[in-house]
Amino acid sequence: MKKVLPALFLLTLSSCSVINAYLMTHYDPNEYKTITEIRAEAQQFKNQCDDAIISQANSIKLARDTQYFVLYSEHIPKNEDMISASKDLQSIAQGLADQYAKAKVSPAFCKIKFTTVETSADRMQTVISGRPR
Amino acid sequence: MSVEQYQQQLLESYNGSQDPKIQQSAFTANQYTEMFKTGQVTKDEYLQMMNDIVLANNINRSADNMQVLEHMNTAINGLINIASLVA
Repeated sequence: MKKVLPALFLLTLSSCSVINAYLMTHYDPNEYKTITEIRAEAQQFKNQCDDAIISQANSIKLARDTQYFVLYSEHIPKNEDMISASKDLQSIAQGLADQYAKAKVSPAFCKIKFTTVETSADRMQTVISGRPR
Repeated sequence: MSVEQYQQQLLESYNGSQDPKIQQSAFTANQYTEMFKTGQVTKDEYLQMMNDIVLANNINRSADNMQVLEHMNTAINGLINIASLVA
């Protein structure tokens, strides 16, 4: 009976979102580690924007790391929202690297870009940490 | 419309909305426009920064969706645990 009741309870769940919530992706320490590294890098890199040579190298590193995060998240089942967020995060980071590749970049722009990545990564990190264990 | 008129529209969004996320976006967009007007950032940079506001909002929306699912998951598992104890 102990096992039947929860099963019956699950059978009565008719709403798609409730089922999605029940079957949602669980906490993945590697995913959490990767987004933490991205956030930490952005936090550190934004303070080096006055040095264009270092900042260009930093922007390339961050673009690569956010791309790694996209690839890591991509094939995790029931992870559509995180895949979408990771792609948006990569676009933000890639934009800075591309800008360095084609023109001189102003320190203000560099700081804003790294700060935007940091803030967004913080938001994503919060969500990953709250996943069911 | 002129830049000033668009900025006025942003200001109205800022004042007219109760949603802190909309307020933040309007404030940020206005701030970026001022930076562009005072020459702190180039046109290319400005366009990218404005586009990033949209991307950051998309990330926030995805995060909101995931947090709703997380809360529901906690509630569902709590109910299952209670049902198991009762039986």
